[in-house]
Amino acid sequence: MAIIERPTDTPAVVSPDAAPAVATPATSYGVFRRPVETTGWKSWLFTIDHKKLGIMYGVVAMAFFVIGGIEALLIRLQLAGPDGTVLSADAYNQMFTMHATTMVFLFVMPMAAAFANYMVPLQIGARDVAFPRINAFGFWTFLFGGLFLNTSWILGGAADGGWFMYAPNSSVAFSPTNGVDFWALGLQITGIASLTGAINLIVTVINMRAPGMSLMKVPIFTWMIMVVQFLLLFAIPVITVALFLLMFQRSFDATFFSVEAGADPLLWQHLFWIFGHPEVYIIVLPAFGIVSEVLPVFSKKPLFGYPLVVFSGAAIGFVGWGVWAHHMFASGLGPISVAVFSVATMAIAIPTGVKIINWVMTMWGGKLKFTVPMLYAVGVIVQFTIGGLSGVTHSVAPSDTQQTDTYYIVAHFHYVIFGGAVLGLFSGLYYWWPKMFGKMLNERMGRWNFWLTIIGMNLTFGPMHVLGLQGQPRRMYVWTENRAGDGFFNIGFWNLIASIGAFVLALGVLLFFVNIYVSHRKGTQKAPLDPWDARSLEWITTSPPKEHNFDRTPTVGHLDEFFHRKYEDRGEGDHHDYHQVATAEEIIAEEEAKGDSHIHLPSPSYWPILLSLALPIMAYGVIYNIWLIVGGAALALLSMYGWGMEPHTAPDDDYDPPAAGTELEVAAHG
Amino acid sequence: MNGHTNHDRTIWVGSHDAHTLDAVSAVNPRRRRRIPGIAAAVGAAIALSACATDAPQDTWQPAGENAQKIHDLQWPVFLTAGIVGVLVFGLLAVTVLRFRDKGQSMPEQTHGKPVIEYLFIAIPAVILAAIAIPTVGVVMALADTDDTECVINVTGQQWWWEYDYEVEDDGTICGFAPTAAEAAPIVTSGQLVIPADTKVLLRGTSRDVIHSYWIPRLNGKRDMVPGRVHYLRLSSETPGIYAGQCTEFCGLSHANMRMETIVLEPDHFQQWLDNELEPYTSPEEGTLAAAGESTFITQCSRCHQVNGLVDDRGTDDPDDDTLVVSYPDQFVYSGAAPNLTNLMGRNTFAGATFDLLTDECRADVWEADPEVFGERYLAGVTEDCLNEIELREWLRNSPAKKPMYADAEMLTETDGKTRGMPYLALSEDQIDELIAYLLERK
Repeated sequence: MAIIERPTDTPAVVSPDAAPAVATPATSYGVFRRPVETTGWKSWLFTIDHKKLGIMYGVVAMAFFVIGGIEALLIRLQLAGPDGTVLSADAYNQMFTMHATTMVFLFVMPMAAAFANYMVPLQIGARDVAFPRINAFGFWTFLFGGLFLNTSWILGGAADGGWFMYAPNSSVAFSPTNGVDFWALGLQITGIASLTGAINLIVTVINMRAPGMSLMKVPIFTWMIMVVQFLLLFAIPVITVALFLLMFQRSFDATFFSVEAGADPLLWQHLFWIFGHPEVYIIVLPAFGIVSEVLPVFSKKPLFGYPLVVFSGAAIGFVGWGVWAHHMFASGLGPISVAVFSVATMAIAIPTGVKIINWVMTMWGGKLKFTVPMLYAVGVIVQFTIGGLSGVTHSVAPSDTQQTDTYYIVAHFHYVIFGGAVLGLFSGLYYWWPKMFGKMLNERMGRWNFWLTIIGMNLTFGPMHVLGLQGQPRRMYVWTENRAGDGFFNIGFWNLIASIGAFVLALGVLLFFVNIYVSHRKGTQKAPLDPWDARSLEWITTSPPKEHNFDRTPTVGHLDEFFHRKYEDRGEGDHHDYHQVATAEEIIAEEEAKGDSHIHLPSPSYWPILLSLALPIMAYGVIYNIWLIVGGAALALLSMYGWGMEPHTAPDDDYDPPAAGTELEVAAHG
Repeated sequence: MNGHTNHDRTIWVGSHDAHTLDAVSAVNPRRRRRIPGIAAAVGAAIALSACATDAPQDTWQPAGENAQKIHDLQWPVFLTAGIVGVLVFGLLAVTVLRFRDKGQSMPEQTHGKPVIEYLFIAIPAVILAAIAIPTVGVVMALADTDDTECVINVTGQQWWWEYDYEVEDDGTICGFAPTAAEAAPIVTSGQLVIPADTKVLLRGTSRDVIHSYWIPRLNGKRDMVPGRVHYLRLSSETPGIYAGQCTEFCGLSHANMRMETIVLEPDHFQQWLDNELEPYTSPEEGTLAAAGESTFITQCSRCHQVNGLVDDRGTDDPDDDTLVVSYPDQFVYSGAAPNLTNLMGRNTFAGATFDLLTDECRADVWEADPEVFGERYLAGVTEDCLNEIELREWLRNSPAKKPMYADAEMLTETDGKTRGMPYLALSEDQIDELIAYLLERK
């Protein structure tokens, strides 16, 4: 345990540059020492700091976003004209399978995990998550799982059964390469990451909130993250069961999905969608949380109907379990099931609609400032509403039998996932960037980034509504002129527009990366401590926060604690008159001055990354050679042993002296 | 394009109501009365959708009872969704314009107004309830099969559809008694032929993976699942050719698994039926087609059945004709291959992916008016109209034309059986012969 000790009478200054001072006691258990590096690559490899892990989640997710985006561009290139020859049928099938898998499991979910990791402890005034080493294990497991999945590209071909991987098309006879094996094993690995992350964050939010922060004072983003973690906790086991069955089907000749052995292929569909529908909310609720943070800040008003937004989030979380079969309206379930799921699906539109209206009402009567994060948040309202409304049109089951598996559905869920989740995540990136990196992202560039993204996404996904209603099915690697029609709504024209749109969208996203470069060039100004006039706890500390987050654990009296520390209502009765009584600098200086004398932080650890590494080794073993499983299992056992036996602090002789100039007095503690 | 586009684009604006006249209402005036006359704005909205007559798989252009039920249900939902969207965006636009930061003082830190919150729960609840009730009604109505008049078996296989017309107990097929021959089961593929004005029930399954049968203008889609039997109703009053496509991803050539449903007037259907049951006639001796018959027997008939084809090679005894029975289960993983008895009676091939007709001839049939459609369809494919280029390409190397698992390296998991048609290494002469032979198959 690294312990930062400071006499309370030392005058503190706001010193974000000061390296965290680390002092360590003198216990050591032979080889099982703990790493102590606070700078350099080792400090990242072995870190268990939720902020570093959050940043790594973000970087890796963004890398996968680029990969998934390139896959999407190849798909759109192939479909830009009739009889496309960019990709073979086989390559195309792999491309759309991996595009969806990558975007869902390796971009949107981990990007939300990035924000959850970084922001949740800060928002609840904690110093880290409840289980920091498990947190590190979660990140590395996700990374190795994602890399494992993508190595299939160079090992004989990626999965080609679609991200829904319906049986029996996923069986060896119909998909003879190892692609589906990589897929089934890779997602089991990333599932472990999600599951450990879920338990970690649930325990963190329930147990580690700052004094005074009752559940109805928890920032809305943290609330939505908590709902998502519960969804993950119950949904991941279901897909894991399905993947496990698939692994046995393919690798060990089981017959779970063999029709000739009496299996019913609909079993897979039920398992997949009982996971798959909550997954939709797993994807979109974090973004809803971000939007619900950003809108109040730039409207200078609290979130309208906070309790209702919380409850509707929870309601979505519950009802989300009762609508899975709306993905199966054409599967032949029988009219009673179809009718019930159809009505249940309509019901879930109500809490979703509540959020939209609450967002608009949050802005109503406010003092709106259209910064880039705000633009993205408003973008979510518009684009997600379009996706929601097209969703209502296929909650009507008979209508859905005309729409399902056509591009109309592709349009719908891209408006929901890109328009809802991804725009929301970008809003979060712009909003929290100064908090995470101490630099503002360039606003001008951000506007270009935003508008190109919006134009690009509407050009790409808007025409897909037309394509779908004109009867173009999904997952077709080629379309022919003869069956494209020749009027205004002909398939050829709208496919071309969608493809052009995809490149505009890609350009828009590219500008984000350019913006990072531009904003971090030499000479760019440091971000102010409170650039947005924010409202929640994560801003009552330096940017980026010190390793221990808060010098003093904040005490919470209000939902928008930071706002209430900055402003005072001097009006009388119904008349309100808000006066600023403190600046962020003053508030943070005061927190530092009254900093806690003992701050306990966990030490880094070697074992999480090693334990994670064992998983893909075992997975390769399932595909190639049983001895790899044995080797991987040995590494896993060793890592668990090391994990269990390492001291709970770094030993004395690994002590890193504090960086020069720090004003903190550091003492060794036994 | 369908055969009656001129009608589809017509918008009739009456003195007190406005609505579109689509293909079905053109032949069925009852439909027109059923659509309620509402504001001109509604008419305009539907007019927009009615313009969408372009692609043959347009889902907004019902041409049969079942699709019409879906359409009558869905357009008000689209309309409602549109109106809700406009209202939300309107509210948002007003908010954005009215409350942008113009230096006003800090707004009141209000946490909400319960009345507004409950109202915005109640409004969508009411709208959705209004949608839910007719939805349940239509779900039940579409599943009702009590008044079925004709049952046809349909089986999906990678990557084509097979149709199997059973002989009913009363000796009819689909309610039609064959004129000359005795009734026997008819097996075809690609194009499903049904009589007009008949409530047809498809009884479907699959031989390998899940496929989905979908003729958008006649009904919604239904998955055909191996090991299960699913039902789908089709019917239309308008003779014509209705295109569709497999919509459940079914592997490599999913994009190339198409189908059409052909609706024929009853007397035309009778004609089609009689033709299907006509006994086999060998090509005239000495013709190219006769050579093609031998080539077919040696190269094709292992998998492809031609009903009544006899193998009299190698024998001088005219009575020693051996009926050629194909055995695709020995070579094809999924167990069947399209029956080619009347190949040229259909106008598409290879899973309805490619046209057997040249573009001009195709247009003559596909875009024919309902009154003349039957005759043109039954004329089949003539030598002048044959799309010989693509048929040749297919015979030359079918896996190159339509991706299939037909390569020996890929077949380790299927005991060497192909999925789809393999490369046969036919010579150009053999291809000439086969085309001549196949041209007579109608």
